[in-house]
Amino acid sequence: MIALESYILVAGLLFAIGAFGVLLRRNTLILFMCLELMLSASILGLIAFSRYNATAEVAMMSGNLLVLFIIAIAACEVAVGLAIIVTLWRRQQTVDVSELTALKN
Amino acid sequence: MDAEALQSIVATNQWGAIWPEILLGCLAVVLLFVDLFTKSRGVITVRIAIWSQVLLLVFLLGRFVFGSASGELGSHYFSGMILQTASTEWARLFFLFASICVCHIGGVYLASRKLAKVEFYHIVMIITAGLMLLAQANDFLLFFVVLETVTIGFYILVAYARHSRFSLEAGLKYLVMAAFSSAIMLFGIVLLYGVAGNPNLPMTASMPLNFDQLAAFIAADDGSIANRGNLMVTVGAALVLIGIAFKIGAVPFQIWVPDVYQGAPTPVTAFLAVASKAAGFIVLFLLLRGPFADLDFLWVPLLTVIAVLTLLFGNIAALGQRNVKRIMGMSGVAHAGVLLLGVLAAQQVDWAYKAVWFYLFVYALASFAVFTVMAHVAPQEDSDQSLERYDNLIRRQPLLGTILIIGLGSLAGIPPLAGFVAKLLIFVAAFQAELYTLLGVALLGVVLSIYYYFAWIRAAVMKHPFVEDSETAEIPSPTFGSKVFMITLAAATIVLGVYQGMFAIGG
Repeated sequence: MIALESYILVAGLLFAIGAFGVLLRRNTLILFMCLELMLSASILGLIAFSRYNATAEVAMMSGNLLVLFIIAIAACEVAVGLAIIVTLWRRQQTVDVSELTALKN
Repeated sequence: MDAEALQSIVATNQWGAIWPEILLGCLAVVLLFVDLFTKSRGVITVRIAIWSQVLLLVFLLGRFVFGSASGELGSHYFSGMILQTASTEWARLFFLFASICVCHIGGVYLASRKLAKVEFYHIVMIITAGLMLLAQANDFLLFFVVLETVTIGFYILVAYARHSRFSLEAGLKYLVMAAFSSAIMLFGIVLLYGVAGNPNLPMTASMPLNFDQLAAFIAADDGSIANRGNLMVTVGAALVLIGIAFKIGAVPFQIWVPDVYQGAPTPVTAFLAVASKAAGFIVLFLLLRGPFADLDFLWVPLLTVIAVLTLLFGNIAALGQRNVKRIMGMSGVAHAGVLLLGVLAAQQVDWAYKAVWFYLFVYALASFAVFTVMAHVAPQEDSDQSLERYDNLIRRQPLLGTILIIGLGSLAGIPPLAGFVAKLLIFVAAFQAELYTLLGVALLGVVLSIYYYFAWIRAAVMKHPFVEDSETAEIPSPTFGSKVFMITLAAATIVLGVYQGMFAIGG
């Protein structure tokens, strides 16, 4: 059986890749994928913890429940986010963050 | 699980306990239908939106003041997911009040623009219901779901002026930053969930997402192992606090504030500045007094550093701004610093908690007054509001100018306005808590803030020598309802500066 630590390590790696992607990449769609990657890292962590922390007495279901909610929330976020990105593309013909500089003092 | 245990869980699902939130959600849906079947172009819907919320506010206020709610206070519902106390009642009143103000400013803003009308009020009311539930959350599951409901609602509102490149760009920036902070916070929650459910540590929680169980877990110490020193506990708590610092716009997580505040439509900027920030502080109190109470060795130094940076950066960055929305954004960062000072003082001085509440109310009154004036003065392109536009406002529109001076005076903390008392209370609390360094930084911040607030006031009362009368744009007179609204806010600001009696109850 794979140890809990392996799952947490993968989850941490996914989270770090996502976080650095958000900070370093300039394309909005890739930014968005990185944000989803961070949520997936949390999902993996929740499921692994729920499975490994469960004992005969405690079912440890609340983490699994939260996973379902996270998936729903991520879908909402994508729906609204893509709508904004598409509208911005129609208006500006670019989705590159470094070219979006209208807001300056 | 046997049937009896299930029965006892189901018995706590009392939907009546959250009827104001349910009612607000239903009202939001009703609004959409009203708009579908009438051809009024938003005139009826804004009236329904505002007056139904005023009715709800009056009812909740009456219930709160005359104490018929006292029997239900301090009770858990929905298997411990919701905890209602006197301060959650305050939060309900606060967010409902903020929602009414935002709906009114939204009416002013939308009246002169070709944008969808009813959807604005719909989303504002859904967000308000979410914020009211957020203050009552006692479980990370409800906490996260409600927080995301609010955040996703704000994505739409920030990008609401979809013909404006500024609004869209602000929407995208807010989307990325808010989703980033939520993801960080969520990973913190996951770590706390994992470590609190670990059967090998002292006191394993059976429902680790619950705040009470998490608090008991973190406090547990069996002599050899103390949970508060566990690496996963501290990292998890720190990630959650970083997520909240994003929401309140504290340095170094304030990078989104000026751009989003400038690009968002004025009513949405007001909503972000008041309700979203207040929600951050309410959540901060919820966590610091609940699950993280035993982690004070972690968050006291963390928040102290953040508070110093926030106070200094907010005030210094506001000095150089010429766009009034950016000034409000940067000064909002500085106000978050003062509130953080109150949060830290509440660690030693218990009444500082009430001082923070009072400050939030006073900040809301003054901010909404200023934002209403801004919505009236704003040009068609909403994000382009420079100080020059306010040139000689007091003679062109005397009422708008007066309200602006009262609002800005209160934000700057000039006696006898309420902002002065609010700042004084927090500073006295900080003095009693012996936070002398922070207090010094905060006082320096107040001196700096007078500079930029008064530059704005000076623009409004004086005529710029190089600007001809013909160059200044015509500012339409506010409607009667808007006048009453602004005078009420300004009067409340003056009255609360002299008499603070009503805040002695509850809190």
